[in-house]
Amino acid sequence: MVAARRGRQLLGVDVGGTFTDFLFWDGRQLRVEKRPSTPRNPEEAVLSGIRETGWQPEEVVHGSTVATNALLTRRGARTALVTTKGFRDTLIIGRQERPDIYALQPTKPPPLVPDGRRFEVYERVAGNGSVIVPLDEADVSAVLDRVERSRAEALAVCLLFSFLDPTHERRIAAEARRRGMTVTVSHELLPEHREYERTSTTVANAYVSPVMGRYLGRLAEGLRAEGGGGRLRIMQSNGGSIGAEQASKEAVRTVLSGPAGGVAGALRVGRAAGHPTVIAFDMGGTSTDVSFCRGEIGERADLTIGGIPIRTPTVDVHSVGAGGGSIAWIDEGGALRVGPQSAGAVPGPAAYGNGTTPTVTDAHIVLSRLPVDRFLGGAMALHSDRAERAIASIAAPFGSDTRRTAQAVISVVNANMARALRLISVERGQDPAEAALVAFGGAGPLHACDLAEELGIGTVIVPQAPGVLSAMGMLQADVVKDVEQGLVLYLDPAVTGAVSELTQTFERLEQQAREALALEGYRSRVRIERWADLRYAGQSHELRVRLGRGLAGSTIRRAFALAHEERFGHSDAERAIEVVVARIKARAPGFRVPLGTTAQATDTAAAEQRAVVVWDRPRRTRVLPRAAVGRRGIRGPAVLTQMDTTVLVPPGWQATPQREGHLILGRRT
Amino acid sequence: MARTRRRASESLDPARLSIIDSLVSAVAEEMGASLRHTALSPNIKERRDYSCAVFDAEGNLLAQAAHIPVHLGAIPESVRAVTELAPFRPGDLAILNDPFLGGTHLPDVTMVSPVFGSSRRRTLIGFVASRAHQADIGGMAPGSMPVARELIQEGLIIPPVRLYRAGELVPETLALILRNVRTPDERRGDLTAQVAAHRLGERRLAALAERTGLQAFQRASHALLNYGERLAREVLRDLPPGEYAFHDHLDSDGVREGTVSIMLRLTIEPDGWHLDFSGSAKQRAASINAVAAVTRSAAYYVLRCLLPSETPTNSGLFRRIRFTLPEGSVVNAQPPVAVAAGNVETSQRIVDVIWGALAQALPTRIPAASSGTMNNLAAGGIDPSTGHSWAYYETIGGGHGGGPGGPGITATQSHMTNTLNTPAEELELSYPMRVRSNRVRRGSGGRGMQRGGDGLVRCTEFLAPATVTIISERRAAAPWGLAGGAPGKPGQNWHAHAGRRRLLPGKCVVSVEEGDVICVATPGGGGWGTLAPRARGAASTLNEAEEHRDARSTGT
Repeated sequence: MVAARRGRQLLGVDVGGTFTDFLFWDGRQLRVEKRPSTPRNPEEAVLSGIRETGWQPEEVVHGSTVATNALLTRRGARTALVTTKGFRDTLIIGRQERPDIYALQPTKPPPLVPDGRRFEVYERVAGNGSVIVPLDEADVSAVLDRVERSRAEALAVCLLFSFLDPTHERRIAAEARRRGMTVTVSHELLPEHREYERTSTTVANAYVSPVMGRYLGRLAEGLRAEGGGGRLRIMQSNGGSIGAEQASKEAVRTVLSGPAGGVAGALRVGRAAGHPTVIAFDMGGTSTDVSFCRGEIGERADLTIGGIPIRTPTVDVHSVGAGGGSIAWIDEGGALRVGPQSAGAVPGPAAYGNGTTPTVTDAHIVLSRLPVDRFLGGAMALHSDRAERAIASIAAPFGSDTRRTAQAVISVVNANMARALRLISVERGQDPAEAALVAFGGAGPLHACDLAEELGIGTVIVPQAPGVLSAMGMLQADVVKDVEQGLVLYLDPAVTGAVSELTQTFERLEQQAREALALEGYRSRVRIERWADLRYAGQSHELRVRLGRGLAGSTIRRAFALAHEERFGHSDAERAIEVVVARIKARAPGFRVPLGTTAQATDTAAAEQRAVVVWDRPRRTRVLPRAAVGRRGIRGPAVLTQMDTTVLVPPGWQATPQREGHLILGRRT
Repeated sequence: MARTRRRASESLDPARLSIIDSLVSAVAEEMGASLRHTALSPNIKERRDYSCAVFDAEGNLLAQAAHIPVHLGAIPESVRAVTELAPFRPGDLAILNDPFLGGTHLPDVTMVSPVFGSSRRRTLIGFVASRAHQADIGGMAPGSMPVARELIQEGLIIPPVRLYRAGELVPETLALILRNVRTPDERRGDLTAQVAAHRLGERRLAALAERTGLQAFQRASHALLNYGERLAREVLRDLPPGEYAFHDHLDSDGVREGTVSIMLRLTIEPDGWHLDFSGSAKQRAASINAVAAVTRSAAYYVLRCLLPSETPTNSGLFRRIRFTLPEGSVVNAQPPVAVAAGNVETSQRIVDVIWGALAQALPTRIPAASSGTMNNLAAGGIDPSTGHSWAYYETIGGGHGGGPGGPGITATQSHMTNTLNTPAEELELSYPMRVRSNRVRRGSGGRGMQRGGDGLVRCTEFLAPATVTIISERRAAAPWGLAGGAPGKPGQNWHAHAGRRRLLPGKCVVSVEEGDVICVATPGGGGWGTLAPRARGAASTLNEAEEHRDARSTGT
């Protein structure tokens, strides 16, 4: 990482649904700001925040929900699709499964491209890469005429096996671009096998990129007007950032922009505290984002947004339907349930003063764990009487005891989250007990120690500025260019020497990635990682394996055998393997921002003793501003307040600030 | 049992109930995650044709991870069958697939293992079970779904036997199984993955029971089952009592001419259902016979669809359902008949019949019939490029019925299955097959105020000689409409050879040559409600003509 030059002004800005978070660094001091988001024109909150603070950042790293929202609300560009003859319906057939098997009448979201704008061309490339039906220029011309007549703003092209031979796609794209169309071509965006997922990703990109392009255009213009005029980078779903120009052409790479920033930030905080293996635990109002990272950001290959599979590299983050606003209710069988419905930001928990439904936040208030006079640094008053009434409305089965009811709500939501955390770990072959839990978001640090007890986790880390961890992650994240190439490369045990086809592919990809970074101005200190998706011949599932520089058949096989052994407990030296995808990840370092330098918002509230219900009963508990915790730490039970979160330290636990200001919580020995 | 009832009635507080449900369900889910994580074959890993479940010591289902509805009523039967092997020791693990002893059809291989407390007394806490569809289990056709008459023709029959004894592999059992299947390496990998899922489930269930205390765990289990029963009763109470009859039939048994009828008299009482299948056809010397467990699964599935979406799955839900299943009929088959299609096809028709009866009770809730078939296609042979034998199996989605809630969805698996398709780009890399087209079969959904969803047409070219088995239904009788809606279009299968196209029967085994194309056109769903007068005409025969043309212009 590069220590940011003194005097150079940097800004990380994360636009969320409710708040736009700013983390500003001028080489000496960090400043944290929050502004209400302006969902209709997200750039307004960003620009006014910059204007009001008088900053003129030279470099802005930005997390945006523009692409995600365009997908979720179906407000993207009018898109057309060209496919191989016989496959125009791949987009609607998908994998032919229904999302909820016990739905009386299952539903599926409508496709991004309706029937009338999906077209086929005569052509076919076979599984061995040979052309069995050549492309016909007249046919291409006729199909593109029809695309034009459909008044599509954007065109997606996805032909079968184009990752093996892209010639046909290239010729269609060239002709379409000559006619002035905006085109996303599958072999450029995602040259790997599985036609539905590739088509879906290609279409999604065509659909959201024009929207993203217009947004980033307005933002860049605004930044210039504010006198910043510097570089604008966008956080991608892969946990790295990329220049605005590339982001507006491949906007689908940014659909998990915000969560990726959070994971990058959590991993960074974990490392700083000496815990390379972390579970990032971001619990907000309506949902909780969770990610298991073993020393590096994990990737997942099964992301769907609003029912649409997106296969570009994505941080391994999962959303769980539990948050502070989750609604507690008694079901028809008499069990207490929490969620998945949420009171959201509006009306919000009963204590916010607008709604009456009991939520997790209301339960915390009834248990005195959330000091009503200190919420958001005292900026927002909470109504404990309303929280009490809301919880009382479901208290009948608990002998009308609101305290017992509130405790029950907390234990049920904790059980739900523990279940999700454990499942996510098992799916990755990991044990949650081996990780440290990095808790952030408004509600995360209230639940973290209970979850740690439940999962056998020894250490909880609460970042210094948990409310802007995502913006911090963005500022610090590497600039990352992912390029990949699907192939069919068969390696039987007889192949021991250099595999020239793979070497050439990697060299070409590396060149491509370096050029992309050079366009952004990153020529030196670029690190290259080589990865490959490998499998035994005949299998349908790959393992992603990191490869070194030497690409002999024997070394590849050895790397695969090791990975297979670790995952499945066995490997087979005699069996042929296949290389299915070659991947290059090129990284240029992001900024190192020393967190210990954050200007503390001075919290003047005094420390006091209150009766707070922790676990089974009320206990005399110290309630104090987090900033007042001395270097030697504090023993639980304690409640630590700060502007953007509340930390609960249970009895038997100790919270100690670490050098950079992150709180380390552990059981006292 | 009487004692159980009384003790269970001391109810758990609402939070404990919710938490114990969450903890037990988590065990089943984690077993599923582990199985998917370590299995080798696409059938388990990609198509997710498996289920995992947790049982109490008395064999009651406490939780089942939601994957495959047809496993719902069947896994409990296999636990019951395995209890015959008692006494158990920790580390024992039984394997079986015998449809007449707790199985469903032979490719579904079930494992059951007892779970003990770790204290000195080694009390039996319960069982964990898993069922995974193995791509081949031997028999007369690759994929083990032949058009057969006797069970023995369908593949290797495994009665409940130990695969592990006190934690040690019984090598003879494994050797016997692997010698009788076409792709032993893959089977070994998948069976190993299933065992690993069990070991995880056993540890997790034991730890859970230890933590709560064994007696408390038993009380909690009973409370959980009672909770399930209460949830079901809430729904049952809202149904209008009465007797509703419905019948439907299968096109054929695949061996002899003639339809196979399924008759139901459903009696809805304020606190329960009675399903009486008297009058259904006698079992056939064919594979369309359903064992009782499959019939029960179908009923459980239907009830489960009427319950709120977050309802947990345990056997308490199903306590209020009683059955009359005539022995030796197609809904309660007895040895020695074949059963492969009973599981995949007859189960769908049993569901249709139950929905049909219920629609009379609940005319404003129940949708019209969905495609009513899984459109099974199995293929195999010797791959000339490798010299090895290969076996492939897929099911193909169809249209869903339209209903009061909206139009039916298109080209999707319905009711008793939810398995995924195999991507064309995966298939062609792994097997000597090439997908020529995979399109929506436009106009196949029945018309109505709410249209039925369309089926699809999938045409596959064979790049080497192969044996292809098709087991499909609704090729003659169409998926019915409701409330004035039109039926969906029946399916069709055809074989293109040397530029000529011939129709295939719904169930058949065909030998194909290099360059031949097999097309499966799946049924659309029935429409719901009377159509407004200005309806659109049949615009979509065009699509079908296109398929025919594509199929004919083979590369030979």
